Parts: sequence; structure tokens; C-alpha cells
Amino acid sequence: MAFPLQRGITPPEISFLAEMEMVTIVPRQRLEGLELLGGPVEPLVPPRRTTVPLWLASLLKRQRRANILPPPWLHPESLSLILDIETQHQDYQHAFSPPPPLPGQPRLRDRGRKPNARPRYTPEGQRYYPTPPFLPQNVAQDQSFDNGEPPTLPFHWLEVGTMLLDVASDDVVDPDQTRRLLKELREVRSAKIRSGVDVLDVAAVAGGGVALTGVGAMEIGEGRGFIGGVVDGLRRIGASKEQARREQLAAAANGEYDATQDYDDDMEF
Amino acid sequence: MSYYEVDSILTDAQKLPCTFELDVPGLGILEGNPGENIKAGTRIDLPLWLGEMLSIGARLGTSRLVTLDIPSALSERVMNALKADPRTVDLRALAPNYYRLSERVLELFEEEEMVDTLSNTFKKRAAEIADHAHNPKGALGDGVEFLRGLDETERQLFRVAHDSAKETRIWAGEAKKR
Repeated sequence: MAFPLQRGITPPEISFLAEMEMVTIVPRQRLEGLELLGGPVEPLVPPRRTTVPLWLASLLKRQRRANILPPPWLHPESLSLILDIETQHQDYQHAFSPPPPLPGQPRLRDRGRKPNARPRYTPEGQRYYPTPPFLPQNVAQDQSFDNGEPPTLPFHWLEVGTMLLDVASDDVVDPDQTRRLLKELREVRSAKIRSGVDVLDVAAVAGGGVALTGVGAMEIGEGRGFIGGVVDGLRRIGASKEQARREQLAAAANGEYDATQDYDDDMEF
Repeated sequence: MSYYEVDSILTDAQKLPCTFELDVPGLGILEGNPGENIKAGTRIDLPLWLGEMLSIGARLGTSRLVTLDIPSALSERVMNALKADPRTVDLRALAPNYYRLSERVLELFEEEEMVDTLSNTFKKRAAEIADHAHNPKGALGDGVEFLRGLDETERQLFRVAHDSAKETRIWAGEAKKR
């Protein structure tokens, strides 16, 4: 192959993207506010907490100008709880532990409730619902998870966790234990990705899909080539059957509906 | 499938058993005796691209020149073996581009059951490939038999899975670069 990199993005690129995550720091020195393309950074006044992008936080940490407050999920207690969910909980034998709830999404406990997300508006007046990576999922919280909510892994958990352990291991509670738990979590989850091949044939037919809810960015990046290859292979093998199915559908639908009705179920969530 | 793709060219060259329906003058060269005629009812293995072209003559209103058969790599016997245990069959020995060949053959024949068997085979073997790619046991560990029997598509899959796992390990600092 002429181009040395494979399709998709490489792990360093993914962790570069993860550096945009906001984290909480406690500055040790004063710093005036910065006007950055990604948004302004508040003036740093010790000892007031502020949220800054991870890249800036790690820079300040390296220069010993700030301490990073690790996010609530990066704590041995939370991680071992999540690990328990991943390995012991019946509902999650073959699924990933749930991601943090989106704003307005009902909590895990009252699952029956309807989501009541409040839309936000862009400067042009277009409506949107913020989703990760544009949600602060890695900031320290005061009432961490004592409200009965199980801790959840954010989208960039592996990258943020590894980077924080790298630059700010003295700020993390029990870094060795945390590192071990992160590694264990990663192994459990990558085994799940690999055993998930069984459901991939659903994705190979039209209108099918596979839920990747709760899968982290690095895990997607790692599995992208393999999963894509499997789905493509299954699609090729099933192409003739799919063709026959479509012809049948078209014949059945002829006269009653348009041919577009095949695609109706694609639109539902 | 692109025009210059080596694998699809190689797939085109795979042999397919064909039976001639008509006498063809001067085509004895295919049988190995140049200058002779080919008689109706002769069975010859022809490359996929040639057999395909000769067999679809029926569409043009003329009677078809050859009838195709399913190649031995996709025979009932192999299908039964794949149904029994997909992991023990040496696909590479059957055809180096096994899945591409079956893909082409399935375009010519309508075999719903074969599609199901092959999809299942591919899935089962892909799971095994992923495990081997993530925990390589070297060239002498167990599973060598299996890895040697991978067809070209599966080898690419193995390579992709192995490379991305390695890249991630390098990023995490668990493995050395190169």
C-alpha cells in the first residue's frame, strides 16, 4: 500500500482530539484571561477553581502553575464500580456500561420518563442539542456521585484518564490502583467489542444498525478497521440475497406504495 | 472492486467447471488439443471470466454455449464441513480468494442457504481472527493451523485488527515503537 496510514484516525490523533475536553484546575499563579479560538479562558485567580481545556491544564501542570482536579469517574472507587457493572451486572454482559446521561435525558433510575432536552441555539439561530464532545464530562463536581447515580465513563475516558495519569499522577487518588483499573476496564471492553462480531450481520443489510452506545473514542478508533472490514465482508457475501430481497419487496410494494417505503424504518430511532 | 485490484483479477482467474452444450469448431485448444473441435457435453474447467461470458449467451436469444457448475470449493461437502465447524476448514487450500470467489459464484447461482452458511462462517472466523490479532502467539503458537488457512480477505482483516491493536498499545506506552 502506498499510503502508510490505514483508514480512520490513529490513536495519537484521537488523543489530540481528547485534549479539547474541559477539566477543572486549581491555579497556583495568576494568569490573565486568554481569548482563544475555542472560546475564552477565564482569568486564573488562585485558589479559585476554573475549567480549562485539557491541553492547557496539562501545560500549566507541567510548569507547576496549577493542580488538576481529576473528574469524579477517575477515582478507584468509581472505576471499580464501573468494572463491576461491566463484568457482573446481568444487563451488561454483552453491552457496555451506559454513557453519562445527556442533558435532559432521564436518569438511569427513572428510565420510563420522557426526555425533556432543552435545545440551544447557534449564533445563526439554528436549533441544536449539545452532545459529547461538546459537553463538560470531565470537570470535577462537588456532589460527585453521592446522589445514588452510578458513575459513568465519558466518551474520551481512556484518553483523558491516561493523559491525567501521565502528567498529573500526583493529583489523582491512588494512581497505581487507578492505572490498573483503567487497564482492566480496557481489556474487558475490548473483549466485548471482539465478541460483538455476532451482531454485525444486522449492520450488513439495508436499514440495519448496531448500537455502539457507551463505546469510547479510542475503542471506536481501535475497532474501526476490523468492524468495517467484517461488515463489508458480510455485505459482499449477502449481496445476492439482499438483491433478491429487494426485488421481492419491490414486487410486493408495486402498485401499493412507492419504492421509497423500503427506507421508512431507517428513519426511526 | 476496482479495475486494478489484484485480488479481483486473481479471482477472475479461478476455474469454474463448465459443460459445453454445443459443438464448437476449433476450440479444442481449451481441452489441450489445438485444432480439434469441442463436442457437446464436454466438461472443462474454464476461468471465471470466460465461463461467465460464455454462459450468459442465452440472454442474447441464442442458445447458451456452456452451463456452469458450482466449483468444488463451494460444493455440498465443503458447505457441510463449514456448517459443522467453520474454524477447522482450510479455506486457503480451497481457493486463495475464497470469499471473493463465492461472492461471484453467488451472483450466478441463487443459493440462499449457501449465503447463510458463508455469512455464518465469516462471522465465526472473524471473531477468532480478532482474538488472534489481539493476542498474537507468534508463528509457532497454537492457532497457526487456523491462521494459515485464512483466505485473502481474512488475512487483510487480521492485518487491520492487528495493526490497530498495536497502534493503540504503542500510544498507551505498553509496546515499543517498531
